[in-house]
Amino acid sequence: MKILKHSYSILLISLASSLVSAEISVIVSNNNPNTTINQTMVSKIFLGKAKSFPDGSQAVPIDQDDGAAARGAFNSTVLGKSSSQLKSYWSRLIFTGKGTPPKQSGNDAAVKQLVADNPNIIGYVDSSAVDDSVKVVHKF
Amino acid sequence: MRTRIYWAPSLLAIAIASPAMAGDLNVNGFLSVGASMLDDNKASIAGADNQGGFKNDTVLGLQVQKQVNDSTSATGQLVSRGSDEYATEAAWAFVTFAANDDLDLRMGRLRIPFFQYSDFLEVGYAYNWVRPPVDVYRVPFSSLDGVDLTQRFSSGSIDGSIQVYYGRFQGNFNTGTDVYASDYRNFAGLALSATMGDFGTRLSYHQAEIIMDTSDPTTALGAASAGASAIATGLGDPNAAQDFNFSGQTSTFIGAALTYDDGTYSAVAEWTALEHESSLFLDDQAFLVGVAARFGEFTPHLTYSAEKDTLDSGNEGKIQKALPLQSDQSSITAGVRYDYDSSTALKFEIQNNDETTTAGADGDSATLYSVAVDLVF
Repeated sequence: MKILKHSYSILLISLASSLVSAEISVIVSNNNPNTTINQTMVSKIFLGKAKSFPDGSQAVPIDQDDGAAARGAFNSTVLGKSSSQLKSYWSRLIFTGKGTPPKQSGNDAAVKQLVADNPNIIGYVDSSAVDDSVKVVHKF
Repeated sequence: MRTRIYWAPSLLAIAIASPAMAGDLNVNGFLSVGASMLDDNKASIAGADNQGGFKNDTVLGLQVQKQVNDSTSATGQLVSRGSDEYATEAAWAFVTFAANDDLDLRMGRLRIPFFQYSDFLEVGYAYNWVRPPVDVYRVPFSSLDGVDLTQRFSSGSIDGSIQVYYGRFQGNFNTGTDVYASDYRNFAGLALSATMGDFGTRLSYHQAEIIMDTSDPTTALGAASAGASAIATGLGDPNAAQDFNFSGQTSTFIGAALTYDDGTYSAVAEWTALEHESSLFLDDQAFLVGVAARFGEFTPHLTYSAEKDTLDSGNEGKIQKALPLQSDQSSITAGVRYDYDSSTALKFEIQNNDETTTAGADGDSATLYSVAVDLVF
């Protein structure tokens, strides 16, 4: 029964993602005191323009791997940039020592694990991957 | 849990609490391979000639960055340029100390932030052209040894930074035909940049006291310097020749730029002015206006750029005119960038350069064809 449910949801997700882009959840650890973070702030943190959460604690964004499904959706919906534009944006900062892009840290499961374990880390996953080990601060 | 607060009391606390990836070593690089060919040799653009070649637009850069601790990092960037016989130079080599989230202090070899694209001048991937228009990007050196402070600010929808620097550059001033030993002292300046939504702006001011060896009469500047004395004597004003050298006179550079990028359409306008106390270089102004549009992986672009010299007043100006030194040129650059994947771009570009005046006489026009592959890794 469980297996059936699982394959069902996979089917639904793949259907949904083929029609509209998947819903993305921005997640932090349950130990992170921030309850919601608006899009401007999320975007600033992931573009290296802000280094702290609204409450002042240090924010460390992590990215999904190149080619991960959630990554393209996050980049276009939240950051409003194509992958080439983002690469160009970061190459301007990397080679001037002014910033480094968020670390590529695997897929939904790997990001969720890293976020759950560290209150300073902020990541994003497909909303279907969210469980109670992490806290959703924004949905797109 | 503001980890930075703990750096003074205990290194151990950092090791345990720091989410910043201390000890991480980041290696990044860029490579541009470009070929260009001029249709004839009557005018010159970007060091190219009508035989074509890969040398002038081929650049390899390798950068290593090490996070020493939570607030300190070290960055080194080695660049090897085809235009410089592939000699390897440290374009950047500095230590950054982050005083807080928004204030950085850097010491070492830094890029001089003259232009909008100065910081990533050699990272071809970061812009659409094969090379920034040479009419405007006309300063033949790009780094200095010194210190700078960068304060970032953010207010509502405006983000920006103010950078101030001080240092010295000792090295060769390479005009492409001649090389002069030079020393730029008390080199200082500031750059202010801000972005608001799709718009960006940048203002900068720079100055330095230039000492340059122009005593060799077989070089262009040496010949001009010697010629100035003869002309000054002819004018009955020998003193007018005194400033036809570089013995510590101040030169200043001012730049202003506006950018727009909404994801599909982008535009850039940049204006710059150079002013020299020495009369051996003419004061000049140069600007560019460019537009580009992204259609999927293709980005066609079009740019107009121009540079115009201004003669000094009085007998110095008469000597400059008689030597003759003044030039006046404009270019139209049209090209297309194709993003092959998220770290490789292919570019094709045609630049028509019209030298209205060169060395005081009527000039010619020429067309430069360029192709390039730009990668970042």
